[in-house]
Amino acid sequence: MRIALAMALAALLAAPPGAHAARRSVKVDPVGAWSCVIYGHPAFGDERMLFHFAADGTTQLAREVEQKISAWTPLSRWTADDGELTFSDPHTGRQYRADLRRATLGGSWRTVILVGGWWCSELDEAAVPAVEELEPLAVMPPLIPSVTSTPQYPLQAIRDAKQGRAVTCFFVDASGAVVQPELIELSDEVFRAPILAALARSRYVGWDDASVRRPGCRSYIFKLDSLSAAVEGPQ
Amino acid sequence: MAGLRFGAAAIWFVAGAAWAQIDPQQQADSRTVLGGGNEYLSAGADAIRAGLYEEGIRLTRLGLERSSKNSERAAALSNLCAAHAAKGETDLAIETCSESIELNAQNWRAYSNRSYAYYLKGMYTKASADLEAAATFSPNARQVQQIRGMINERNLRPSVIVEEHQ
Repeated sequence: MRIALAMALAALLAAPPGAHAARRSVKVDPVGAWSCVIYGHPAFGDERMLFHFAADGTTQLAREVEQKISAWTPLSRWTADDGELTFSDPHTGRQYRADLRRATLGGSWRTVILVGGWWCSELDEAAVPAVEELEPLAVMPPLIPSVTSTPQYPLQAIRDAKQGRAVTCFFVDASGAVVQPELIELSDEVFRAPILAALARSRYVGWDDASVRRPGCRSYIFKLDSLSAAVEGPQ
Repeated sequence: MAGLRFGAAAIWFVAGAAWAQIDPQQQADSRTVLGGGNEYLSAGADAIRAGLYEEGIRLTRLGLERSSKNSERAAALSNLCAAHAAKGETDLAIETCSESIELNAQNWRAYSNRSYAYYLKGMYTKASADLEAAATFSPNARQVQQIRGMINERNLRPSVIVEEHQ
């Protein structure tokens, strides 16, 4: 066992850098502006933000404030290493990470005691507001659900007494349909199919500009409660 | 639909339980060891397996009258229990399973059969307790897993909480 482990480790160390890089091929270039949903903060709820990653390594953030977009504020410099983007927000203490091998920009954030996620759609550079003061929310209007479909609890999961949790992020196109859903967290594969089916049935209020896709995320908790006390027959 | 499901479950359950008492590995030994009246027990098990519960019960009772060996009687009572459960005679099923367990407290099939009878009565706590006992002796038995699933279907209320992030 030890010998096998040592051999595997040696093979990994001896592998040429190209082979390693090929396994971790980066799909997302973060440079540009992104419309993002930040979720998971229990006190403040979800937030919609704009991130701007400049080629010189600077990062800026603009957030929604009372139906307007705030002026850009600087964050830490961003770095991308081995397929992972990192930067931080000194105001909130959030450390952001993103896996650049995903189909879009998104990942997790954490503070000392909190964790959450974020998910972005790329913005056309021309649409990015050069905000000095509050600007209208043209590039990041809220997503308004028109049909929210709830996943069916899988029968096999009930039989196996399986509970679970999942987070999915996706884009919404101009017609209001959910596209490119991705399971960010999934406690058990048995829940994947009903979640994707429910997303396919869900709709948001659409918009005019067909070139704009907006990011959205949903969390699901699959829960089982015992009915014993209520339905138990005579003993 | 519920009736159909019930019927299917009952057939599976009885077939499994009856067969289990005369599994192929032990059949040769049974033919040697069991003589005289015990042909009634084998024929009774066959009848129960075929869904002929009345005939199976009659033959098994005849076999029981001619049997004095505790392990044999315990197996026969467990089969009787399965047949009564399949007929929906749950109280009789529980009674005969309990007799079987008194003779052989390590017969997982008797616990499993009694669990099914409790399940049919809607007594899920007792059904689960018997199922746990069966699982102690035979944790991977298909019948145990299936009854557990059936109890969970009846006894667990599923809900899905959706939270929108935006």
